[in-house]
Amino acid sequence: MNAIPALKDVFTRGQRQSDPDTPRAPEQGGEPRVVGAVDALRDVFTRNLRQSGIYIAFVAIIGLFAWLTDGLLLSPDNVTNVFLQYGYILILAIGMVIVIIAGHIDLSVGSVVALTGAVSATFVIKQGHPSWLGVLVALGVGLLVGAWQGFWVAFVGIPAFIVTLAGMLLFRGMTLRVLHNISLSPFPTDYHNIAGGFINGVLGGNGYDVFTLVVAAVGIAGYAYSQLRNRRGRIRYQQSVEAFPLFVLRLVLVAVVVMALAWQLAHSRGLPVVLIILGILIMTYSVITTKTVFGRHVYAIGGNLSAAQLSGVKVKKVNFWIFVNMGFLAAVAGVVFSSRSNGSQPAAGQMFELDAIAACFIGGASTTGGVGRVTGAMVGGLIMGVMSNGMQLMGIDQSVQQMIKGLVLLLAVAFDIYNKRRAGAAR
Amino acid sequence: MPVEAVRDETIGVPDGEQARQTMTTTTTRTPLLAMRQICKRFNAVEALVDVDFEVYAHEVVALVGDNGAGKSTLAKVISGVLQPDSGLIEMEGETVAIPSPSAAHDLGVATVFQDLALCDNLDVTANLFLGREMTGRALLADAQMEDAAKKILRDLSSRIPSVRTQLRDLSAGQRQSVAIARTLIGSPRIVVLDEPTASLSVAQTAEVLTHIQGLRDLGLGVVLISHNMNDVRAVSDRIEVLRHGRNNGSFDASSASYEAILAAITGATHQGYRSVPRFA
Repeated sequence: MNAIPALKDVFTRGQRQSDPDTPRAPEQGGEPRVVGAVDALRDVFTRNLRQSGIYIAFVAIIGLFAWLTDGLLLSPDNVTNVFLQYGYILILAIGMVIVIIAGHIDLSVGSVVALTGAVSATFVIKQGHPSWLGVLVALGVGLLVGAWQGFWVAFVGIPAFIVTLAGMLLFRGMTLRVLHNISLSPFPTDYHNIAGGFINGVLGGNGYDVFTLVVAAVGIAGYAYSQLRNRRGRIRYQQSVEAFPLFVLRLVLVAVVVMALAWQLAHSRGLPVVLIILGILIMTYSVITTKTVFGRHVYAIGGNLSAAQLSGVKVKKVNFWIFVNMGFLAAVAGVVFSSRSNGSQPAAGQMFELDAIAACFIGGASTTGGVGRVTGAMVGGLIMGVMSNGMQLMGIDQSVQQMIKGLVLLLAVAFDIYNKRRAGAAR
Repeated sequence: MPVEAVRDETIGVPDGEQARQTMTTTTTRTPLLAMRQICKRFNAVEALVDVDFEVYAHEVVALVGDNGAGKSTLAKVISGVLQPDSGLIEMEGETVAIPSPSAAHDLGVATVFQDLALCDNLDVTANLFLGREMTGRALLADAQMEDAAKKILRDLSSRIPSVRTQLRDLSAGQRQSVAIARTLIGSPRIVVLDEPTASLSVAQTAEVLTHIQGLRDLGLGVVLISHNMNDVRAVSDRIEVLRHGRNNGSFDASSASYEAILAAITGATHQGYRSVPRFA
C-alpha cells in the first residue's frame, strides 16, 4: 500500500517537470520538456512508438528475413533486386498516398500501368519510333487518363471508388485493344535501361562505385539537417520532442541503414536508375505535400471537406489535379514496369493498385483521409517489398505469401487504430 | 498587417463606446453592409421574405429569432454560401454580388459557421490561413504565417498553447477562439458569428464574448447570431428579430426589455424593420 503514494509522487513530479511554464532547475539544462523517468518510459512506448513505430517495424522485418534467409536478403545483388522489383509499386504509392490523404481511393492504377506500357510498346516496338517518344506518349496517356477520372470525381461528383473501378475495367479493356491480346517485346536497349540500367563508375572506385556512396552521404546529411531544424522549431514552440539521445539514435540508425544499403549497391552493379527516379520523385512529392498550398489543401479536404469548402479552398480543382497527378505517376510506373519486364503484356500490372494501397495504409495513412505522409508510404511499400522478396528467397509457397501479406496489412492498420484510440483516451 | 491599421484608429481612445461615438459624429453613417428586401426560397419554403438588415462599423448587431426564423440563411447569404433570389446587397453604399465564400472574403466579410469550419488534422496556423495561405517562392511561408498567427491570437488574448498544436488537441472553447481568430486574417470589415457559444461551458462562453467585444473595439461590424438572450444582451448594441423569415422588430440593446424582445421572437408583437438613425 505504501508504494501507491510514492508512485503517485513520481507521476505528479514527472508532470510538473514536463510543464513548460514551470521554472527549470539548472541541472536540467536547456531542454524545454524534461521528462521524468515514468514519463520518459511512457513516451517511448506511446508517442515514440507511434511516430517511429513504422521504422522500428521495418528494421525488425529486415532483421527477421535477413536471419531467416541466412543473410541472403542483404546480399548486394538482392538489395538491388528489391528496388528493381518494387520500384514501380513505390512510384504508385507516392500518388496513391496523396489520393488517400484527400479521402479518395484509386483502383485503376494497375490497368493504367498496363495501358501506358502498352501504348509505349506499340510506339517503340511495333512502329519503331525512338524510345523517348514512347516515354512521352505514355506520360501523355497517363495525364489524359488522370484528367478523365479527375473530371468525373471532381466535377460530376461521383465517388472515386466507382470512377476508378470503372476505370480499372475501361483501361484494362483498352490495353487489350491496343495490344490485340498479344505481348510485345523486346524494347531497344536505351528503353530497357530506364529501369534495368545502372550508374556505375562515374567517379571511379575499383568495384566500389564512389558515386553511389557520395549520393548516399549527401542524402543522409540533408536528412539530418532537416530533422535538426524541425526539432529546433518544435523546441522553440515548446512542443514535446523525443529525448535527445533517442533523437540521435534515430538519426544514427537511419544513417547506418542508408550507408549500408549504399555500400551494398556500390559493390554490386552500382546505382540503379530506378532508384534515382524514385529519389527525385520522393523528394519532389515530400515538398509538394508538406510545403505547398496544393499539399495543404489536399490535407484540408481529407480532414474536413465542408470546412475546406467554406474556407475558400477550390475543392473541385484540387481533386481534379490529384487524379491528374495520379495518372501521371501511374504512367511513370508504367514506363518503369514495361522497361523492367522488357515488353508489354495484356495482363501487366494486375493487383498493383492493391499493393500501392496497402503500402499507404501500412505507412500510416488513415482510411478516413487527412492523415498520411509520402515517406510513410515509401516505408510501407518497402515493408511489403522486403517481405515478398524474403519469402520468395525462402521458397515459401505463393499461397502462404499472400496470406501473410494480408495479415500484415490488417495488423498494421489495427495497430494504428489502437494507438490513436489510446492517444485519444490519454488526453 | 491590415488589422494593425484598423487598430491604430482607436489608439488613444481607451473605450470602445467612446470610439463609436467619435465615429458617429465624424462620418456620415453609411452602413458597412446593407441588405434590402432580401428573398430566399427553398422550393416551397420561404426562408427569407423582404428582409432588411444593416451593419455599421464599431457595432455588434445581434440577429435573434426562433428555430427556422431564417437567421442562418441570412448569415449564409452574407457570407456568399447562398445566393438570394431577389434583393440588393450594398457594401458601403455600393451594390455588390457575393457569389462565393471567397468573394465574400475579398469584400471583407468573414464568417464563423455554426458547424466550426476547421480541420482537425491541421495545426492552428494552418487552420487560420486555410484558403488564403501566404507563400514565398511558390512554397508556403510557414514562419511568416506562424508569426502572424501568434500576433492575432495575442490581439484576441486567446489562450492557445502553441500555434503548432493540432486542432484535435484543443478544447471546444479554444477551437472557437481559433475560429474567431480566423476571421481576422486578411482585412475583414464585417464578422459574422453563427451561434458561437452554442456548445461551450460558462467560462468558455465568457471568453468568446470577450473576443466579440475585441472585434468591435478593432472597429469591425459584428453580426452575432444566437439563441442565448443573455449572451446577446451582454455584448450587442442592437438586436434585430426575425420571425418566419421576416423582420419582426429592432431593439436598442441597452434600453429594450427582455419581455419586449421575447414577444417579438415568439410573434406576440408584430413590427417591421426600423431604419436608422438609432444612436441619435
